[in-house]
Amino acid sequence: MTLQVAHVSFGYNAGYDALDEATRSFSLCDVSITIPRGSLTGLLGPNGCGKTTLLKLMAGVLRPHEGAITLDGRDIDGISRRKLARYIAVVPQETHPGFDYSVLEMVLMGRHPHLGAFQLEGPEDIAIAHESLSATGTSHLASRPYMTLSGGEKQRVVIASALAQAPDVLLLDEPTASLDLAYQMEVAALLDRLNRDRGVSMVLATHDLNLAASLCDSLVLVRSGRVLAHGPTREVLSVAMIQQLYDVEADVQFHEASGHLTVVPIRRAQ
Amino acid sequence: MSAGPRPIRTRLAVTLLAYGAVALAACLLAPLVGSTSISLSRAFDRSIPFADNVDAQIFFIARLPRVLAGAIVGAAFASAGVVLQALLRNPLATPFTLGVSAGSALGAILAISFGSALALGPLLPVPLASLAGAFMSAAIVYAMATRPGRPISTSVLLLAGVTLNSFFSALILLVQYMSDFAEAYRTVRWLMGDLDVGGFGPILGALPLIVVAFVIFARLSSSLNVLSVGADTAATRGVDVARTQRLAFVSAALATSAAVSLAGPIGFVGIVVPHLVRLMTGVDHRIVLPASALFGAAFLVACDLVARTVLAPVEVPVGVVTAMLGGPFFLWLLIRRG
Amino acid sequence: MATYPKRLILLTALVAVAGGVWATGSAVVAHAQAETGRQASVRDGAPVTRIISLVPALTEVLFAIGAGPQVIAVSSYDDFSPEVRALPRVGALIDPDVERILALRPNLVLTYGSQNALEMQLARAGIRTFTYRHSGVPGILDAVRDLGAATGHAADGERKAREIEAQLDAVRAVVRPFGRPRALLVFSRQPQSLQQMYVSGGGGFLDDLLQIAGGANVFADVPRESVQPSHETLLARAPEVIIELHSTGMMAGTGVLRERSLWAALASIPAVRNDRIHFLEGSYLVVPGPRVGLAAEALARALHAEAFE
Repeated sequence: MTLQVAHVSFGYNAGYDALDEATRSFSLCDVSITIPRGSLTGLLGPNGCGKTTLLKLMAGVLRPHEGAITLDGRDIDGISRRKLARYIAVVPQETHPGFDYSVLEMVLMGRHPHLGAFQLEGPEDIAIAHESLSATGTSHLASRPYMTLSGGEKQRVVIASALAQAPDVLLLDEPTASLDLAYQMEVAALLDRLNRDRGVSMVLATHDLNLAASLCDSLVLVRSGRVLAHGPTREVLSVAMIQQLYDVEADVQFHEASGHLTVVPIRRAQ
Repeated sequence: MSAGPRPIRTRLAVTLLAYGAVALAACLLAPLVGSTSISLSRAFDRSIPFADNVDAQIFFIARLPRVLAGAIVGAAFASAGVVLQALLRNPLATPFTLGVSAGSALGAILAISFGSALALGPLLPVPLASLAGAFMSAAIVYAMATRPGRPISTSVLLLAGVTLNSFFSALILLVQYMSDFAEAYRTVRWLMGDLDVGGFGPILGALPLIVVAFVIFARLSSSLNVLSVGADTAATRGVDVARTQRLAFVSAALATSAAVSLAGPIGFVGIVVPHLVRLMTGVDHRIVLPASALFGAAFLVACDLVARTVLAPVEVPVGVVTAMLGGPFFLWLLIRRG
Repeated sequence: MATYPKRLILLTALVAVAGGVWATGSAVVAHAQAETGRQASVRDGAPVTRIISLVPALTEVLFAIGAGPQVIAVSSYDDFSPEVRALPRVGALIDPDVERILALRPNLVLTYGSQNALEMQLARAGIRTFTYRHSGVPGILDAVRDLGAATGHAADGERKAREIEAQLDAVRAVVRPFGRPRALLVFSRQPQSLQQMYVSGGGGFLDDLLQIAGGANVFADVPRESVQPSHETLLARAPEVIIELHSTGMMAGTGVLRERSLWAALASIPAVRNDRIHFLEGSYLVVPGPRVGLAAEALARALHAEAFE
């Protein structure tokens, strides 16, 4: 499925209460990007640039004030929440359940969009949940309470939960932000594998330039609510672009051993 | 604490059967016990005219409606507690957290103190005023916390409820201060809860509201797990968050209002029962909600049984019994954690 | 470290319980001390010209023994006569307005037994207090005599007390030949509901009046002034006569009919079956004051109509 964002504008204060143009403030202005099927796109930009807002719009959680978001040509606004959740899943930055659910219960919640109003999970749903757990290497944690897991394990469980939705598109908000190096690599490898094996398109909002460089085939650079650049990683991830995006002087090199670009920040630009 | 490997369909069926049996047993056994000893065979003896049959009158007028009221009110408070806990993502929320009970108390107390002259046909002024007060405070909280089309902010909801609770409690104190002794004492007594309805009429009055609330609960049940993980997560799992939150609030307020108008604000049922049930069945709301309703019914019927027999012929208010069980229960929970 | 919070909680609970016991104990001791102190504060002799009464029943007594002109202020609940209604108010049981009381410069203040704080303040200001505790009909007669002595109307007090005693004796005599029907004496009820009903238990002046009037209290075994019976208890106790006391007009035409029909649901109660439910109205019925004689007679008429033919 191709996810397309076409000339989308959105503002938290731009609702019915904002009466004139002057008082409206948009978090995102005229954003247009295409997420082709099976791609792994990185969403980069400084804090407050609108990355999370864009992810929420793509997930259908927020509605754009201008423009439209379409899935294979269909406006997602016209698709019911439940149906949309069968195509698009989100891995949020943090998950804090109010109750002490087990890992399996958390993952089974991913089956919610596939169940009717009074339907309970059946054997197929449970099989899919277990499969998602094994795909993320967390099968051995199935009956553990979610809250007792380490940061990396929790993140993998949340990914498993999103996988259980059997989506075509996976949106991730800072998936490695609170993880140590080993877990970062683990999650990165997992996402790469899932993308290749299952053909799930992914959009990754991240601060980690090197993660984006290693994982993503294309990048979207967002600054102050507008798209700065959008294209293949090798083209977009340049010294000039990084300076424009972050006001940081950096060095971008191709690293032989790892096989992808690396970014080394040098100093803040004047 | 974790969900066993058994599939939920089995677990739900087993839970409903087990808790249903407990609730049924409580409702069948409770009318047999009371502060007076009666002869059951005489009570059911059709040959004696009802108006002359003391045993029958005690069983059918005094005890049976009381047990039924206890079951319905207990189920209402317990399940409203579960729904609000899921909505507020906090197992310490109670049906009274969002101001509904304070509003209903204010309504009842105004009726007790100033409404003696009111006669509205078959409708009793105190339950009616209590219902009106509950609806009013729920409406105020709802208006304060919701914006059209947007999800409800649970922190605003909580704050609105706490504000209303404080404000109405202050008004209640003022009204009590201005009433005479008898009225002030009666309002204090009303606040302690009373299931002795003396007939099926009051129950039939509250029943439609509670039934509607239960229907909505059933509909919401499958979304509560997902909702309790977080509003945004719920939205991406296919839950219409704004609508689900509103339905949760309205249905919980409806059940609570009806229950309070029938029996007064009986505390602790809405928090002790869900906690106990979670200890026994795990935290899946699809099981906790119906199990809490059934266990809540049995729990309140049992508490009322204690209330009306332990110091006979003097009755302990049922709210006092639930409080005396609730306090130590939470102390025990705390000690267990530590 | 895991057991530390547990021990702390248990220790806190123990301290709380101990503190509660100690507080109750010292309150009891302080109360007893106040009691003995009180007896000493009323002395005969010195002229009492400015009286403030916080107890409506005692206000009635004052007026009945001719001490009315000496009363300068009353409680918020006093309203038994136009003269009394015209007097300034100084609060009541839970909210006595000490400043106002002091500003009026009384030389005798009539208080309730539980108003210890007020009494201590008045004692410090050198004002005499007369304390009253509800203790049935004998307590009323004592109060009439004691107030007579305290206000310089000893003879009037004695006369009034004898008058009341005579009224009561007359009632006793009239009903003596007849049996003692089991009676339920309701003194407070929420209209249109039998829940939250307060009836006289086996103690207090209402129970005394019931006995004088020739009735047997169905709750004679409960040594309390008030009982809140459940439907089951009402049915089980099965009174032969039900008397409802109302201080002022709830009972006008349809009101009485409506309330009567409420009792109809409990058809097995003999009082309901035989239509022996009486609604009596008037403040003299619920105020433990000088009109208890009239109250006793009213109750007797309800219990033993045949005695008054």
